[in-house]
Amino acid sequence: MLFTRPIKNEIKLPGKQEEVVDWKYTTCGYCSTGCSIEVGVNKKGEGIKARGVGDADVNQGKLCLKGIFEHELFTSAGRGTVPLMRDKIFEDYKETTWDAAFDKTAAEIERIQQQYGRDSFAIVSTGQILTEEFYTLGKLARGVIGTNNYDGNTTLCMASAVSGYKRSFGSDGPPGCYDDFSHTDCLMAFGSNLPEQHPVIYWRLKQALEKKKFPLIVVDPRVTMFAQFADMHLPITPGTDVVLLNSLAHVILDEGLEDRAYMEAHTSNIEAFEKLVEKYNPVMAAKQCGIDEDTIRNVARLYAKADAAMSIWTMGINQSTHGSDGVVGINSLNLITGNIGKKGGTSLSITGQCNAMGTREWSSCSGLPGYRALEKEQDREDIAKFWGIDPEFFPKKRGLFQTDIFPAIETGQIKGLWIIATNPMTSMPNTARIRKTFENLEFCVVQDSYRDVETTEYAHVYFPAGLWAEKEGCMTNTERRVNFISNVLPPHAESKPDLWIFNQMAKRFANGNKIEFPESASAVFDEMRELSKGRFLDISGMSHEKIEKNRGLQWPMKEEAEQGSARLYEDGVFNYPDKRAKLIPLDFIDNNEVPDEKYPFWLNSGRVVEHFHTRTRTGKIGNLNKFSPTPYMEMNSDAAAELGITHMSYVRLASRRGDAVVLVQLTQRVPRNMVFIPFHFHECVNRLSLGLLDPHSRQPAFKQCAVRIEMVSKQEAAAITNKSNRAF
Amino acid sequence: MFEVRKDEPGYAFIPDVETAEKNQWGTNIATVAEDDAARGKSLNINGDQGISENPNRYKQHGFHFTADNCIGCHACEAACSEKNDLPAHLSFRSVGYIEGGSYPAYQRLNISMACNHCDDPVCLKGCPTRAYSKYAEYGAVLQDPDTCFGCGYCTWVCPYNAPQLDLSKGEVSKCNMCVDRLEVGLKPACAAACLGGALDFGVIETKPENREQAKVQIPGFPDPAITNPNIRFQQTRSLPREMTRTDSQPLRYQRDEQGQGEYKSKPVIKPKHKNGNKEWNFSKLSSRENPLVIFTLISQAVVGAFSILYLAPLLGITELSSASNPKTVLSLLVFMFTIQVVGLAMSTLHLGKPHRFYRAFNNLKYSPVGREVASLAVFFSLFSVYVVLESGLLSFLPATVVSTASNIVGLLALVMGPIFIYAMHKIYRIKARPFWNHWQVLTTFFGNTLALGALLVAVAFSLSLALQAESFGPVISLLAPILFIGLLIEGYGLYQHKKDLEKSGGEGAAAQLVQESTFGKTYQARNMALISAIILVGILSITAIDGYIGVFAWLALSAFIIATAVIGRALFYVLVIPTTMPGAFFWKNAGFQDHARESGLADMQQVGVLPKTDYHHELMARAKNDIAEEINKIKQEGFIKGISSRLVKRIVTIKQGL
Repeated sequence: MLFTRPIKNEIKLPGKQEEVVDWKYTTCGYCSTGCSIEVGVNKKGEGIKARGVGDADVNQGKLCLKGIFEHELFTSAGRGTVPLMRDKIFEDYKETTWDAAFDKTAAEIERIQQQYGRDSFAIVSTGQILTEEFYTLGKLARGVIGTNNYDGNTTLCMASAVSGYKRSFGSDGPPGCYDDFSHTDCLMAFGSNLPEQHPVIYWRLKQALEKKKFPLIVVDPRVTMFAQFADMHLPITPGTDVVLLNSLAHVILDEGLEDRAYMEAHTSNIEAFEKLVEKYNPVMAAKQCGIDEDTIRNVARLYAKADAAMSIWTMGINQSTHGSDGVVGINSLNLITGNIGKKGGTSLSITGQCNAMGTREWSSCSGLPGYRALEKEQDREDIAKFWGIDPEFFPKKRGLFQTDIFPAIETGQIKGLWIIATNPMTSMPNTARIRKTFENLEFCVVQDSYRDVETTEYAHVYFPAGLWAEKEGCMTNTERRVNFISNVLPPHAESKPDLWIFNQMAKRFANGNKIEFPESASAVFDEMRELSKGRFLDISGMSHEKIEKNRGLQWPMKEEAEQGSARLYEDGVFNYPDKRAKLIPLDFIDNNEVPDEKYPFWLNSGRVVEHFHTRTRTGKIGNLNKFSPTPYMEMNSDAAAELGITHMSYVRLASRRGDAVVLVQLTQRVPRNMVFIPFHFHECVNRLSLGLLDPHSRQPAFKQCAVRIEMVSKQEAAAITNKSNRAF
Repeated sequence: MFEVRKDEPGYAFIPDVETAEKNQWGTNIATVAEDDAARGKSLNINGDQGISENPNRYKQHGFHFTADNCIGCHACEAACSEKNDLPAHLSFRSVGYIEGGSYPAYQRLNISMACNHCDDPVCLKGCPTRAYSKYAEYGAVLQDPDTCFGCGYCTWVCPYNAPQLDLSKGEVSKCNMCVDRLEVGLKPACAAACLGGALDFGVIETKPENREQAKVQIPGFPDPAITNPNIRFQQTRSLPREMTRTDSQPLRYQRDEQGQGEYKSKPVIKPKHKNGNKEWNFSKLSSRENPLVIFTLISQAVVGAFSILYLAPLLGITELSSASNPKTVLSLLVFMFTIQVVGLAMSTLHLGKPHRFYRAFNNLKYSPVGREVASLAVFFSLFSVYVVLESGLLSFLPATVVSTASNIVGLLALVMGPIFIYAMHKIYRIKARPFWNHWQVLTTFFGNTLALGALLVAVAFSLSLALQAESFGPVISLLAPILFIGLLIEGYGLYQHKKDLEKSGGEGAAAQLVQESTFGKTYQARNMALISAIILVGILSITAIDGYIGVFAWLALSAFIIATAVIGRALFYVLVIPTTMPGAFFWKNAGFQDHARESGLADMQQVGVLPKTDYHHELMARAKNDIAEEINKIKQEGFIKGISSRLVKRIVTIKQGL
């Protein structure tokens, strides 16, 4: 039965497809999946469309919703247009020139360093800018400004993974790759909500599962979609992953399921490890981690007996007081089962930010470029020589982590701060404390693509930076794939690439004129390539052209190599002096703020698929933001019924740090004694969070603290509070 | 033709697999015969004259959705909105969910839904302007916003919420199956973008690789019998027996008591408070359909009053004839004409593009809206002529000619009136809106026709007679029974409606639940008022109170009856719960949209909620602009030529729709 109109009008299909005159290659600037994107450019040179690159190994043409709308970033609201300056934070900003802004900043840095010492000026960077920019910033921070209090916001997301990798394998570097999904026989995910956090990696996993089914085990206190799709969901008690991991190892060793040959050939410290896990029999462990003993045994057997088994994890592990330990525990599980460096057998940290890996590799935050350490004399000398400065200029030990820099500001050891592409006003735990901290600064400069990033509230100078494909350079993804961002559009208004900003700043210091600061990203890349030759992190076989042509290349890639390397440690040689990986015994100490009578609920936080970080980008794009335009809290409907709290009403949450007003979404996705709030929103979850620091990685435990929930009788007032807390 | 990239991934192409002959409803999957003249023509997409060589071009295509796999990542929606360049407040595809169970045995079922390009496209049939077509190519149901006049009727009849009425633009648009992509063998953007292995696309009844089911139903999806939609499902995971919605629709989905069979929609059981959750919520009675409240009531009153006035002398009731009360009758007729014009204006301005009102006659064969407007047009024309004939303006003509003409025209209008009211009621008999789809619409509309008509006549005569210090008791006693019967019919219908809704379950019962809770006090008050009115009419007519006290009593009663009718009609519009797809917590959640408007969140464009429901200013500006443009065109073509060509086109279009 057809109803076609006899007079056939032209079919008008909306869309800008036909306006595209050129597609430009780039890589997504949100998460660490590393999807290749093509931006469609129209006659006027505007970026009007985005699509996944069809033959890119990572995403094979797919994109998540953020990537699909990434071209809208070019015209998104709230961008910085010109540098801004003011003397006091209570004054209004005045527009200024780049030169004036640089002069003032350089003068303030020199003044503070002279007055209070070199380390009294701190730099907090990001995982968002390009690798060449990271390398240049590192050169500026370590070689020119010479502060040892220089770190990235990766401390909030990946520090535990870095620390755990270093402790287990002697070096950072995720050993596996996405292709491992196609070879594994068992996958265990810890605190990773892959379908929501990394939908394209999930798609790769799903593709592999469609071809060959293998057991999927998800450890998560919340019934995420991933947990729901798992063959086994382990709803663990928050913060007790180490107990579960020890107990899994206990069962494996107890039942003789370990790969003894691999352990003896490639690991050290076996005895101490065995002695410790001996204590964690499943009967005892079950009481602590909330997973029954049968399940623990079942999972241990399944994992150990699989020909190849792999683990992935994200913030559920990392953002914990036992984050680093959790990573070590996962690594150990894979070491004792011989699942490192083989197809389908790996310990793969699913990274957060698009270039978290780039900052780990090249920014010198935790040391010197190319996985070099300040603690190693040879490394200091090599870099000093390469840059042409005195090695004594470098400190001999790494300085403060990001999460220790802020307390040092609070107590007055640090007086000046340069913030680059991060938003601690929203992202750091305990917002009230962070506000107080910022008030203590004598000078603060914020460098960001967005003028309305909340941290500008406390800045004296604002540098407007170009974003994403307004610049050129590389980023490294979760599977060590270095990919290329081409310069699709010039930076917005008078904003400038971060590389240019760093170079201009360098010129204003004595060392900056001694050291060469190349202007082009490819020249910077050449320096990095040179520095990587023959090392673990070898990128000497790469160039911008080769990277683009191959849609990304995985390091290590030696100079003469045709392709990168899919996996690390295939030869079983690790980066400890004895070439062995270390099995580290981890005793569990329960130091979390756990729910009690006064604060009876666990507060858990996490990402949602439509947002990234503190919404400075995604909060501006309607077709993303509309899926969660305002903060909300998942709360168990039974618990709510007891308190008389109803669906879609505002409640007040209180913790030992502060309070927050949030809209309630009732669901059985969370247990009776837990609430979940997305972390993206300003003046919301971090008004409550404690963020106890991991002793190794200094990463805050965002996901474990206790809150109280109170009904709000004046709903309209609560709605006003909620709305007025954020400008977008 | 749409660009196919050199590196286009394999999953983006529709596999050319063997297809069935007939679909699950027994309809041919081939849309036209092998030798049909419709074949081999260009779709003329954005002026592109190319003709596709897709081998399955003349087969019905559809979506396949593996509900087991949907992760709710919104990639399909985003790909759709990006391709179609949609503003945040619109979407052709939406992902909502239902959930059930208790922690940790909890399950969420995400459902991604767009247009299902149905075998029986109720949107197409309902559309008065014939903006919809079902094409031989792929069986795609496409809508042309350039033809649409923004009545939004398609959004009422579609069970899946596929057509999207953009209030700010005053027009509807919807999923176009990405026919440009299909022409080159590519799946629609949404299906190609899916990251969960959930959404796929192909010739209907073909199962994608690794899929075993092609069911026509999953929990949360409306009864497929309404439209025979072209979507198939796989859903093999067992779900908790009861699934609930997170959006504000008070619906849940439950299997029968043995836990067998399909999930059926049922009303949400609210925990009872002391007052039984009964509230007034008077302000919530006001909706975008307010003009229709007024229009329907006025029209019913006019039809009723006219019928009484016309029939009275024929039945020998001289008290109501113009012979005995010429001034009263004439004033009443003029008054009726005036309010009918007001009603017409209100219903026309309710359109997104009122200046395109003339397109209402494009689809008379199928569209209940078209037929209502047509019957209204005929009735109103006849009635207007009747008024003129009765007015004495034509006194220069022979009196017999005038009175004969008046009798004939009046008789025709008398026949046309009830037809118009019947046609009006047909608009609301929508399967996707169970609260409306009940015979009480007919009893209420005719009940109101009698009651309000009688009331109108009664008020006019009693006022006039009282002013002349004459007794109006006899007139009242003639009209009161009509009023009484009208109210009784309405009351009986409402009573049966309630009973049937409660029995029916689903969206109808849910609406009734809202009627008895959110509007519980209002509902009770209306019911009490209706019963009291019936009793009072009885008492007043029996006691036949006359004089000023009588006038006062009748006026008070009239106000009472009118208020009851207005509240009843407003309830009728605000209560309806469509059998639509579940929304999410924010997106496609009417409850959040209301909150966003009230709290001012909607003022931020990126919240994706239009800040207002009323865009009259924009509407008038648009109308002015369009009319000016059209006049310009006519001027350029030459006045006579311009007008006549448009008239011809109009007649051709109307004929095509018959």
